[in-house]
Amino acid sequence: MKFSLNPITAKKLRRFRQIRRGFVSFTILAVLIGLSLIAEVLVNSRALIVRFEGKWYFPTYGAIIPGRTFGLDYDYATNFRELQARLEKEPERGWVLMPPVPYDPIENCYPGEFFRPRAPSFAERHFLGTDQLNRDVLARVVYGFRNALIFAGCYIVLTYLIGVSLGCSMGYFGGRLDLFGQRLIEIWSQVPFFFVVIIVASIVSGLGGMNLGWLLGVVVLFSWTSITWYMRSVTYKEKARDYVHAAEVIGAGNTRIIFSHVLPNVISTLVTFAPFSVAAAISALTALDFLGYGLPPPTPSWGELLRQGTSNLSAPWIVASAFGALMLVLVLVTFIGEAVREAFDPKKFTIYR
Amino acid sequence: MTPPDSTPPLLQIRGLKMHFPIRQGMLFKRPKLCRAVDGVDLTVHHGETVGLVGESGCGKSTLGKCVVRLLEPTEGAIHFEGFNLAPMGCRQLKPHRRHIQMIFQDPVESLNARHSVGQILEEPFVIHRQGDREERKKKALALLDKVGLPAASYDRFPFEFSGGQRQRIGIARALALNPKLIICDEPVSALDVSIQSQVLNLLLDLQRDLGLTYVFIAHNLAVVKHISDRIAVMYLGRIVELAGADELYRNARHPYTRALISAIPEPNPRRERERIVLTGDVPSPINPPSGCPFHTRCPHVQDRCRVEVPQLRPAGPGHEVACHFDL
Repeated sequence: MKFSLNPITAKKLRRFRQIRRGFVSFTILAVLIGLSLIAEVLVNSRALIVRFEGKWYFPTYGAIIPGRTFGLDYDYATNFRELQARLEKEPERGWVLMPPVPYDPIENCYPGEFFRPRAPSFAERHFLGTDQLNRDVLARVVYGFRNALIFAGCYIVLTYLIGVSLGCSMGYFGGRLDLFGQRLIEIWSQVPFFFVVIIVASIVSGLGGMNLGWLLGVVVLFSWTSITWYMRSVTYKEKARDYVHAAEVIGAGNTRIIFSHVLPNVISTLVTFAPFSVAAAISALTALDFLGYGLPPPTPSWGELLRQGTSNLSAPWIVASAFGALMLVLVLVTFIGEAVREAFDPKKFTIYR
Repeated sequence: MTPPDSTPPLLQIRGLKMHFPIRQGMLFKRPKLCRAVDGVDLTVHHGETVGLVGESGCGKSTLGKCVVRLLEPTEGAIHFEGFNLAPMGCRQLKPHRRHIQMIFQDPVESLNARHSVGQILEEPFVIHRQGDREERKKKALALLDKVGLPAASYDRFPFEFSGGQRQRIGIARALALNPKLIICDEPVSALDVSIQSQVLNLLLDLQRDLGLTYVFIAHNLAVVKHISDRIAVMYLGRIVELAGADELYRNARHPYTRALISAIPEPNPRRERERIVLTGDVPSPINPPSGCPFHTRCPHVQDRCRVEVPQLRPAGPGHEVACHFDL
């Protein structure tokens, strides 16, 4: 059977494409996400291509290449910027092609020198300057974006998985499960989320360190509740419709009714929440990082950059980059969300009622 | 069509009750019951059409839903081909499901908008594990042909069809598993008048060709008379009169039936006829009146009606009525 879009979905996608602002935002964000996925090629302290004494090297991906390979006097990872500077003096031995931004997000670019934020400089290829530990701000913004995306992606998948399955079963099976499930969720959603995160973070850092998994777990644990309400009520509504009864009369079991009838009719409206969940996830991560309860240093993150920036206001490029990036992404996501909501609004498509 | 008494009836409903609990209050619940169906006996024979009429809220749809076991009846038995379906659970019911199908009132609501017509018609085969992919497609196309839709409909989606066509899809789906009994829950009341007769004739043709048995639920008496062999009149969850279609129209015995029949619009404006106008509303099934359920609106009410519940009693050949008096 060939894959074909349901015409209703196709129509919604067409409508989405017609909403200019949302579609343009979507394109920009998609390009940004695409770029962040190949960030190693664009922002990296490893060279893209090295030609050395008749041999080709592509150090971007894969194991580190020790300095001795290139006739340097050390066994640790090659500093390709130094190598580049050296080979420029003796071009007959080879050459090095560096990425557009030749810095890593976690390296201190001027070891041995006094740590201070450096202003943006095109000559040194610090396009957005450095932070107070001499790390390239652009590199940190780009990799921070990637971390935020990974976080938001996992966040969405997990919260939806929990929220949809619980909400759907509460709405579908009803009865005691619904009654007690709802009360439990009501109580659970009253737990102050930030305090718990802070407590867990302090315990976990004592145990061996916060990482993306822990942080994700804690944040997801307290944010799946809102979807269950929505899922519960729409499932409840869909369940009472005649097409579900028709399936029941034919002999469809619960599993079949839920996965083949109810969910497909509900998911499309759930899509409208996704962009706002992304925005929520990114803001939550940034907020936690800003407070210092998020990912451990030296992980690049926007919240950490913001914190540095606000304590180094004399170096405005730090706070401006982090804030600009955060704002750009949140605005894009919100525009997309708005357009998705408009395109998927069921009211424009229902003939009846 | 009077069925021979020797063959066992296809469907036999005995003392069927469907009470819905109504929750009231937070702590001290005094559960009240909505007596949607309150003791119905009905026998349906092979190949006949039993019409079920009554005002909205009289329990006729609930009765239909009990028979296809969308609802689990509170009390009573539904004997279908020797099995009592009433107490059966989901699993036990599955092999019987294919013999009793339902056609729904609203063809927009009863078709899943996300499935193509092909998917809708093949689902019964998928559920009951009949045939492989190609066979199922062949069967679906045959079904489309049977209900008079072009084969090209197979890849289309419900919203691309008109109301009448959608109802045909619903009928095709009901026919998919070669059922013996089809519950038609007001199958034409959501359609345009011009389409109604087409769909009704389709149902009649199908009945003739496939030997189907119908329970036809409707509130339009003209429609019911056209299609039914026997008609049961329901009032407040009970059957108040049951008779052959012509007999009922010519010789109605229950005052409620008379009122219903007198309400049928008469095409000939010159013809004089008696119009019985009922006063008041149907009493709430949560708080049904004592005695005869109809006594609050009956023009012939006596003291006995307020106390004693009339049972269905014979009132002629194939004619039963639940009234204390021979009116």
